[in-house]
Amino acid sequence: MDELAGRLGRRVLGQLEMIRQIGAFTLITFGVTVTKLGVAPQVVRPLIREQIVRSGVRLLPIIAFIGTALGLLIIGQTLRLLHQVGQQELVGSLIVTVLIRELAPLTAALVVLARVGTPTVVELGTARALGEVEALEALGIDPIHYLVVPRVMGITIAVFALSVYLLLFALASGWLVSVVSNVSLPLGTYLGQIAGALRWQDFPLLAAKSLTFGGVGALIACYQGLARPLRLEEVPGAATRTVAQSVVAFLVLDAVFLVLQLLTFS
Amino acid sequence: MNALPVIELVGAGISAEVGAEPLLRGVSWTVFAGDFWVITGSHGSGKSVLLETLAGIRPCAAGNLRWFGQPFQVTGSEDSGQSALRRRLGLVFEGGGRVFSQLSVAENIALPVSYHDGCSMGEALYRTAPLRSALDLDRLAAAPAGRVGRGWMQRVALGRALALQPEVLLLDNPVAGLDPSHLRWWQEFLVALAAGHPVTHGRPVTLVLTADDARPWDGIGRQFAETRDRAWQVLAEPVPSGLEDAISQRPGLLSPTV
Repeated sequence: MDELAGRLGRRVLGQLEMIRQIGAFTLITFGVTVTKLGVAPQVVRPLIREQIVRSGVRLLPIIAFIGTALGLLIIGQTLRLLHQVGQQELVGSLIVTVLIRELAPLTAALVVLARVGTPTVVELGTARALGEVEALEALGIDPIHYLVVPRVMGITIAVFALSVYLLLFALASGWLVSVVSNVSLPLGTYLGQIAGALRWQDFPLLAAKSLTFGGVGALIACYQGLARPLRLEEVPGAATRTVAQSVVAFLVLDAVFLVLQLLTFS
Repeated sequence: MNALPVIELVGAGISAEVGAEPLLRGVSWTVFAGDFWVITGSHGSGKSVLLETLAGIRPCAAGNLRWFGQPFQVTGSEDSGQSALRRRLGLVFEGGGRVFSQLSVAENIALPVSYHDGCSMGEALYRTAPLRSALDLDRLAAAPAGRVGRGWMQRVALGRALALQPEVLLLDNPVAGLDPSHLRWWQEFLVALAAGHPVTHGRPVTLVLTADDARPWDGIGRQFAETRDRAWQVLAEPVPSGLEDAISQRPGLLSPTV
């Protein structure tokens, strides 16, 4: 029993230490972002653009597919069900609650994490293992500024943009399925119901959620790749940890946002 | 001696990791402007760690490090003053020079110029073209740096370090494993750098070099030292048949190549 408690305690302490280190890494990255805002823009801006293309533009097709599928499944099914019970006016509330407040930012963040998180860990872990980080330091180039800041900014912006696109595709496909399934809901009424259910707080909430998810996922990926020395064979393990820790972080943050939402929306 | 001290170690302990047993103890050593040090020692004797400590990559386990008369401490984040000091020193790592494998040969050399001078990569590539030519890297300019041969990688690392026009160049075992033609090129290039090469606008560069074997640097280096049994020992200072002889034996060495 004591042994079990000891193992559990060590595990909990290990996780708390990890959270502390990621927190410290986040503060360092934030500090470097602020203090080096105007430093080497000709180097950093192209890196941010490259990251947006990689994490955002190239993922647009898959986001379009997922958004369309979500629209068909959630909005389409919900519309049909509400039509059967004569409660079509609730469609706006349902879409706002399920899609805008919850699914869009979470899904976009998970897609980006799955497609970009692992390569980020591998790239940074390899750079660290090959000594490229020390090479940057020797050249007077801050490795956080050159390697981490562009990735965090690019991925954060990408998750926000992809959340919006996912939402648009879901709303469009949801209305299309209502047309196909003979649910009498004109486009104006459909959009009107959504607009009626939206509150002004939903816009900053969507932005805050998607930016936070993107930033946190990117920071965890960068931390796992860069913050401690890795041997080449340790890189795949770090990639797996990134996905697991990010998913847990997203769910915890989602719960925090829900509490904030309940406090501010009431 | 009129030359100014550029790097000073005072009672320094040299350790590979923070808290680890020092590889070298009590190193008190001054590098003066114009010196050409050759440091020899067996594998694991602490040469590379010593050089990385001199370059401010690793902290001293004990004692002090001074750059250009100013105390330098390794910190997590450097202020602009420390960053400016750091640019006056160049470091070439051993074993391929730790080039940035994602960038091309030309981009590796141009990156520090673009970063510190605030110019675009295109302009930095243009500005570093003469340096690239001096290193015979023109034909490899577009190649990914991680895919060129080891000897060429080492030159890329040299170019990257020279791009910021450092006053002191630290070279960690630069010729280890290189074939005779590369070795000859390095000997001649470093002699020219020490005397004032066109790539540094004729300004002599202070050199500190480590090597497994001192023989290739006999008659080229000016000062010799050795790391052995956790101790630092200066072997000869200066070597009589030094730089001037080496230059006189290689006519045309200092002729402009850029």
